[in-house]
Amino acid sequence: MAARYDRAITVFSPDGHLFQVEYAQEAVKKGSTAVGIRGKDIVVLGVEKKSVAKLQEERTVRKICTLDDHVCMAFAGLTADARIVINRARVECQSHRLTVEDPVTVEYITRHIATLKQRYTQSNGRRPFGISALIVGFDCDGTPRLYQTDPSGTYHAWKANAIGRSAKTVREFLEKNYTDEAIATDNESIKLAIKALLEVVQSGGKNIELAVIRRNQPLKLLESKEIETLVTEIEKEKEDEAEKKKQKKST
Amino acid sequence: MATFFGEVLSVYSRAVEEDDDDLDDENEDERIHREIEEKREVHIVWCPEVAQSLEDSGSNKLQCSDLIIAVGTNAAGFLSAYVLNTESWDAVGHVSLWNERSRGSSRQSIAPLPGEPACLFYRHRDNPAVFGCLQKRGLSVMVLSDSPVAEYKTPDYLYGSAVPFLRSLKSSASKGQALCPALEQPNILTGLPAAVLSHCQVHQIPAVLYQCYTDVISPDSITMETFKPALLCLSKLVKLEPCLSADVLRKFAIITEAQSNLYT
Repeated sequence: MAARYDRAITVFSPDGHLFQVEYAQEAVKKGSTAVGIRGKDIVVLGVEKKSVAKLQEERTVRKICTLDDHVCMAFAGLTADARIVINRARVECQSHRLTVEDPVTVEYITRHIATLKQRYTQSNGRRPFGISALIVGFDCDGTPRLYQTDPSGTYHAWKANAIGRSAKTVREFLEKNYTDEAIATDNESIKLAIKALLEVVQSGGKNIELAVIRRNQPLKLLESKEIETLVTEIEKEKEDEAEKKKQKKST
Repeated sequence: MATFFGEVLSVYSRAVEEDDDDLDDENEDERIHREIEEKREVHIVWCPEVAQSLEDSGSNKLQCSDLIIAVGTNAAGFLSAYVLNTESWDAVGHVSLWNERSRGSSRQSIAPLPGEPACLFYRHRDNPAVFGCLQKRGLSVMVLSDSPVAEYKTPDYLYGSAVPFLRSLKSSASKGQALCPALEQPNILTGLPAAVLSHCQVHQIPAVLYQCYTDVISPDSITMETFKPALLCLSKLVKLEPCLSADVLRKFAIITEAQSNLYT
């Protein structure tokens, strides 16, 4: 039972668990879904938009943020923790540019964020950050990258991944559908991200926010009209597929 | 015991206590406690026609064949939304109470407001034997209650997708299958649901209890929907709303999601 070993961050349980860190991962599951896809010449971040209160300014409730011109991230979990991590990452990106006169690589900034998170799992009096992050971008040599970090401070490179509320469902969808044809073109990669989100998002394209980075271009947030167009395309493709299957069955 | 930074452990001294003058103070504390205890009250108020039938029956007992008790905001919300909403129920009385822990209102004739510790009795119009409270022979009881999942003890790690879920407990007089797994050891029930079930076990009244473990603090429509398997038992007794519109559920559930910016 976790009872006696889960109140302090600096205490292992007899079977080797750090319960506070594992509970922090539960906090991540309370945030809405975010999905990241690494294409050939594009990286895509899609998030499920939170429903905004009537009087709230929508543009201040953002899950996708730039860390630098060529790197951006989406998070899931505690909003305030995310703000702190993003600030530190942005400062580090500029500090790196000034010191080394080169922009950060995606792996460098991911490692910085992950090291920051790990430090908070090992000092007393502090709790871990309750966020997971998907960090995407292009390195100087033009390679697209996607990394994921979690509250324990681990980070890994992924071809496609999801975090947040229904991450498991989305990840299973991606495992089935992430193929070379699916990411053959930029448009196809974007549509794959939307399809993955539509698995878990209620009421369709209205609740999806999408951002893309293309090689040597800054982050671009897609407008809701573009997303609606893509959603209609996807639905039409689905209907055509269903029709074809019906015809095959009847003949 | 493992402790965290800033925790203060109270240390008990093993020094022998001499007779000291604090006895008076202790007595005063005890006196105050006793006075407050005596002030504890429980009031039961019935509507006029039930009060009449109570008098007529002579033994001051009401006929009742099936009793459904809901304890907790989500369980009560479930009953309100799925059962009481069909409009064939009458509120026939209420119990209000006052003790040093939970202070109810001092008005006795007015129905208790939501948020006050109290119990409202509803009786089905067409089938007055189905009731929302007290004991009689030939009675079967169903209790619905909810509890935070943090108090659920299990050796396995609980994944988020399993929550909310139902567990059941039955008195030995209860025949028939419960519609969800039984509550595993070492989990226990406390409070009113436990008291009701113990009473039913002692007096051999068939009773079944459904406990819903949820990770949401406030009344919430998804948690209320978890009680749906209980609908199957209830539907033999009362008419139910089979499919509930989201609006009705929203009346009973406090929507905190849009206002809460804690998680994004």
